[in-house]
Amino acid sequence: MRALIDVPLMLLVTYTMGFFMYGFYRQFMARIQNRRGPPIWQNLYDNLKFFSKSETLSHGPMFFLGPMIMMAGAVTTVLFIPMLKDTAWLQGFSASGNLILVMFLMVVGPLGNALAVGASGNPFGVMGVTRGLTRLMGLEVPFFLGLALIMVQYETVSISAIMAAQPTLAEWTLVTNPLIFLVVLLPFIASLNASPFDVVGAPVEVYSGPRVEFGGRLLGILMTQNMMLSMAKYVLVVALFMGGASNLLELFVKVFVLFMLTASISAVFPRLRTEQAVDFFWRIPLGLGVVAVILTLWI
Amino acid sequence: MDQILLQSPLLTPTPIWLIALPLLVAFLSPLWGRARWPLLFGVHLGLFALALWLLAGVQDGPLIETLVIAPPLGIHLHADAVSLLLVALLTFAVALVAAFLWQGARAPHWQSRQAFVLIMLLSAGCNGMLLTGDLFNLYVFIEIAGVSAYLLSALRRDAAALEAGLKYLIIGAVSAVFILFATVLTYITTGTLNLAAIGMAFADIPAAMQILIGLLLLVGLGIKAELFPFNVWVPEIYRGSDPEASALFSGVVVKAFLFVLFNLVFLILADPAVVGRWLMILGGVTMVIAELTALRQRDLRRMLAYSSLGQVGLITLALGFAETTVVAGGLFHLVNHTLAKLLLFMVAALMLSRASSGHLDALTGIARRLPLAAGLFVLGSLSMLGLPPLAGFMSKLWIMAGFAEAGVFWPIALILLGALLEAAYFFRWIALFYRPVPAPRLASDPVGLPTASSAVTWPLLVLAVLLIGFGLAPVLLEPALNLAAEVLLDRSGAIEAVMGVRP
Amino acid sequence: MRLFLRVLSLMVVVTPAVTWFAWDGALVWPLFGGATLSFDVTPLASFFLLLLAMGAPLAALPMLRKEEPDWQLALFALLVLGMQGLLLAQDLVGFFIGWEIMTWSSWLLIVRSPRTDAGTAASYILFNLSAAFLLLAGLLGVYSLTGSFAIQALVDLTLAQGLVLVLLFGAAFLIKIGTLPLHLWIPRSYDQAPEPVTVVLSALVSKMGVYGLLLMLILFPEMPGRWFGDWLNGPLSGYGLAWIGVITSIVATFKAIAQDDMKRLLAYSSIGQLGYVTTAIGVGGALGISGALYHALVHTLVSLLLFISFAGIIAQTGQRRFNDLGELIYRMPISFFGVLIGIIALAGMPPLPGFASKFLIFVALIEAQWILLFAAVILSSAAAFLYCYKLIYAPFLGQANSPEARVAREAPWPYLIPQIILMGMLVGLGMFPGMGTALADPVLAALGLAPLDGPSLGTLATPYGGYDGVTLMLVFGIAFALVTALFYMLRGQLRRAGSRQDLSFAGEVPTPDQPLHYGAGMGRELRRIPLIGWILARSSSGFFSGLAERVERLAEHSSRLYPSQPWRWVQSFVVVFAVLLTWGLVRGGGL
Repeated sequence: MRALIDVPLMLLVTYTMGFFMYGFYRQFMARIQNRRGPPIWQNLYDNLKFFSKSETLSHGPMFFLGPMIMMAGAVTTVLFIPMLKDTAWLQGFSASGNLILVMFLMVVGPLGNALAVGASGNPFGVMGVTRGLTRLMGLEVPFFLGLALIMVQYETVSISAIMAAQPTLAEWTLVTNPLIFLVVLLPFIASLNASPFDVVGAPVEVYSGPRVEFGGRLLGILMTQNMMLSMAKYVLVVALFMGGASNLLELFVKVFVLFMLTASISAVFPRLRTEQAVDFFWRIPLGLGVVAVILTLWI
Repeated sequence: MDQILLQSPLLTPTPIWLIALPLLVAFLSPLWGRARWPLLFGVHLGLFALALWLLAGVQDGPLIETLVIAPPLGIHLHADAVSLLLVALLTFAVALVAAFLWQGARAPHWQSRQAFVLIMLLSAGCNGMLLTGDLFNLYVFIEIAGVSAYLLSALRRDAAALEAGLKYLIIGAVSAVFILFATVLTYITTGTLNLAAIGMAFADIPAAMQILIGLLLLVGLGIKAELFPFNVWVPEIYRGSDPEASALFSGVVVKAFLFVLFNLVFLILADPAVVGRWLMILGGVTMVIAELTALRQRDLRRMLAYSSLGQVGLITLALGFAETTVVAGGLFHLVNHTLAKLLLFMVAALMLSRASSGHLDALTGIARRLPLAAGLFVLGSLSMLGLPPLAGFMSKLWIMAGFAEAGVFWPIALILLGALLEAAYFFRWIALFYRPVPAPRLASDPVGLPTASSAVTWPLLVLAVLLIGFGLAPVLLEPALNLAAEVLLDRSGAIEAVMGVRP
Repeated sequence: MRLFLRVLSLMVVVTPAVTWFAWDGALVWPLFGGATLSFDVTPLASFFLLLLAMGAPLAALPMLRKEEPDWQLALFALLVLGMQGLLLAQDLVGFFIGWEIMTWSSWLLIVRSPRTDAGTAASYILFNLSAAFLLLAGLLGVYSLTGSFAIQALVDLTLAQGLVLVLLFGAAFLIKIGTLPLHLWIPRSYDQAPEPVTVVLSALVSKMGVYGLLLMLILFPEMPGRWFGDWLNGPLSGYGLAWIGVITSIVATFKAIAQDDMKRLLAYSSIGQLGYVTTAIGVGGALGISGALYHALVHTLVSLLLFISFAGIIAQTGQRRFNDLGELIYRMPISFFGVLIGIIALAGMPPLPGFASKFLIFVALIEAQWILLFAAVILSSAAAFLYCYKLIYAPFLGQANSPEARVAREAPWPYLIPQIILMGMLVGLGMFPGMGTALADPVLAALGLAPLDGPSLGTLATPYGGYDGVTLMLVFGIAFALVTALFYMLRGQLRRAGSRQDLSFAGEVPTPDQPLHYGAGMGRELRRIPLIGWILARSSSGFFSGLAERVERLAEHSSRLYPSQPWRWVQSFVVVFAVLLTWGLVRGGGL
């Protein structure tokens, strides 16, 4: 019964929070670049506008089903991450899942995207998908290395249990093992497709990449699932490193702080090419990860 | 020989028939006319049955058949569990070759009377070598077998066959010189030619003379038993001869010489350990070098010749160990090698009758024209390589398990290495047989050659069934092989049976 | 005759299933010297027998087509008998007999294919026979120690004995599994074998190596304890094996991405997947072994599905390179779904069971605290997404790139029926991931490990937590249905693009003859990444071809020992005789 309230609420929270954060991000970037920037809810308006487009171009059944798979993947991911701790609310189906499952669920979306882009027959789109998968190969290694260290530290793969193990600030993973956070931070940014790792959809290089063929309501779906999935990732990192949250306000504040951190990094660094990004991940974050393994497990 | 016949009871089945009957039938060859090949087959089948019947009677001790005067002074035949086992094997092999020739050989030289006489003489000579109890008659039988082998190899009478025959003659003469010299020296030093008596007296002659006689016999018999480095002549002869003749050489003659060599070693030497070790090394070297050389052969008959050398090396390696289990395994392998080699050479004969030559290129894709022959070739090679579930696997396993039980591991490593090399070339040939050929090659399929009737394949199928049967149920042969190994190694028993005293 | 042969072969092919359901009591067959062969079903054998029982009939279906030659099915029946024999064997000789029958019958299947060249035939048989002879040497070693061929725990070995035996057996099975650098025979033989045969090689024959590796756990129970390293949280031997497995899977995955031939790609992928299994066996423990068994099960199903699907494509189009296909989704929809389900399971994405098995392996690595290995497994797992995408994109999506791809028809039923069954099995197993662990539990019990004992078939439970396959599948399914329904409720219409070239193409309009298929480009840019470029530039084939060349040269030398002139023969005899005589006389003493 609780699920009937939980599910819409969790989806709504991620949806609105996502559009707020990204609206804020555009403002933030505009101020850094000395521009006025669009209103905070501009992204939300755009999204609603896409949904009300009267005509959408399709390239066949798989092209249509791809975004649906992406959306379903995003929804499933959101529902398998517990938003709050110490409460029975906003847990979704997280009792039936775990951290590794959530990490792999996040890839279902890209799969749907890749299928749809492939079906469109546009080589630029496929080129973008290939780059995305290459980047995924780079970022997942240090990302998972960090997560594995957390799982070893708390001896569980359950996100709720990891959250529950960090009741106070002193017990946050961020405090007890800051090295892991450093290992995970940059791959995390890349997994959000944020600068400086946003070569996949670079407008000039690959002609806007995987999204090249989408328009109208399908683009609306793509935007929506992107916002929700991004917020799911933020919520996950908050749960793993910052002790999770007991109520929605706390969750919002923690996500916002984390968001500001990632946004600042994105604003500063220039874009890396695909192979540079992969090589970077396998040198710096992975090297840090190896150091972390040696420090935490062997010494 | 006629004298021998007159002195022995004519109508009772005794070992002498194993030698006398082929001789008799051969000398009366003008009488047989068209019935020659069925007769050859029938006689050998009969001899096979006789050998089995005799084998059942020697479970408790050897059968000594006196021909002239009682041993050690006279001439006698020494039929025991191991020699009769080999006689049975060899007569069976000759019977199958005879059946094959009867059904399949259309070439004129195989239709002639010479071929019939020569095979009979060959068989008589080999049986004599296996059964004789004295050194001089051994030499005589070696000569009988040898001369018929030279002539068989030259039977085709074209340049290649004559060359092979001549070369065989030369090498046989060299071998005979060594053996004869050893015989003479033995007689001078020990004063006897009876093998058992020599066995008792050998330890007393001077050490240097022992070594000289031993080496003379090693070279003389080593040449005929195809041991390295005395086997360098083999590929030339096998390549020049018809595969049917090579089947007899590899399947029958070599086996007889191997037996003679090891029978002498185990009978004469009080402690065969040292000589046995040297023979093992010789066998190992023979095997590895032959298998290695076979890798580069481009002619089917040459390849089979080298493979034959490799197997002889393996058998020598096993028999030289002089330990019952390993020797029993070695004898089993000897049986299997005869069966498999007969199969392979007969398949080769079938293939050569269809292809322009025995060269690799000429045989490419032959499986499409001769599917059954190619399949049987696969079967024979699998047994040769020692792959289950065929007989060759069981005998190799038997040998290696014996070595493992004794804690001696280098022969195992050598055998496995040899088998790997063997696999490399056998499987290359099989792959070639099954290679799909481009259409124009198929179109130029020679027409008008004698087509192999289905009857010609039944000796091959018998061999295949035996290879599978012995592979699945080696227990069938186990009692006979174990007994044979014990008898072969039981020096004092053999001497006692003849001389009446234990050495 | 033909019909009789086929019916007989088919009956043999279903025998594993019969054995699995109806076996009772052991079978004993006498060998020589008092030794016997005995056959029985152990829990471990039963698991692999199940794989065989499922796989063999499905793999036999495509062989039943009229276009396939008769000998194929007959040899396949022999192959199945061999595999069944080695699984049922209770002693090493029986195991070896089955192993060898499997080896040569599969070789005969490969060598009769018109595409097989001499090098492939040679490498297949030489690698496999080397494995077999190492195995034979190992089993003779066991025999010399225990005096029996029985498969039993070997205790009280000295370090040297243990090391030699473990290396002999281990090398044999690793060759069969195809771990680096002993994998060379796999890609070429999988590629050149007839399509229905490749299915069998990848799905079933390779699993026998896994079975052998697991058998070593029974043979050498002391091995892990003996070489225990505290700082590793586990046995050194297992750690080494795990690294061998993971390096295999990483390198094989990169090699797979670089392939432009479908079957070669799948061959490398197969090597990589079995690398995970090797890793899991190296980790050991209840989670590791259960992960290994689970992954073997999933890989059997997946490789059956994928190889059969691609066999159908090759049969229908005659094309086997990615560049020559495309757009088959409209022409071969069932095959498309087969490959889709196959790659989702292969990539280990939830909710299909590929995730369940990887999850077990991950958790096992976390339990053992082998974090670097964990990261390495993730690397190959993430890289596998790339080739999985290539597998679905290049043949099915994109633009058709050859005339055959434009006119192809759906594969015939002998290809589709097994695909449909396998899709059902994969989805079912994904929904009830506990079924896999339930199958593996008896094996764990037989190995003396604590079974995982999931609460229900729908749940995959580990001490570290688990997940609920039913909930996952339902949530995803309902979300998908609701999203699609909502989308249709929105105002507006969906318009189909006018043509395949109606694309957003940098401001131009492409023409039909413009190559728009991206199959070749995929993976090409990977070489620019230093590590991958380094790996792809290397190969161990040089070592083995060099070895072969050395042996050939040696053979050339040895053939000089066999001159053709009789005078040289006689000369050599006399020289050898003289040397031996001199040596014997100088040494003194008699014989």
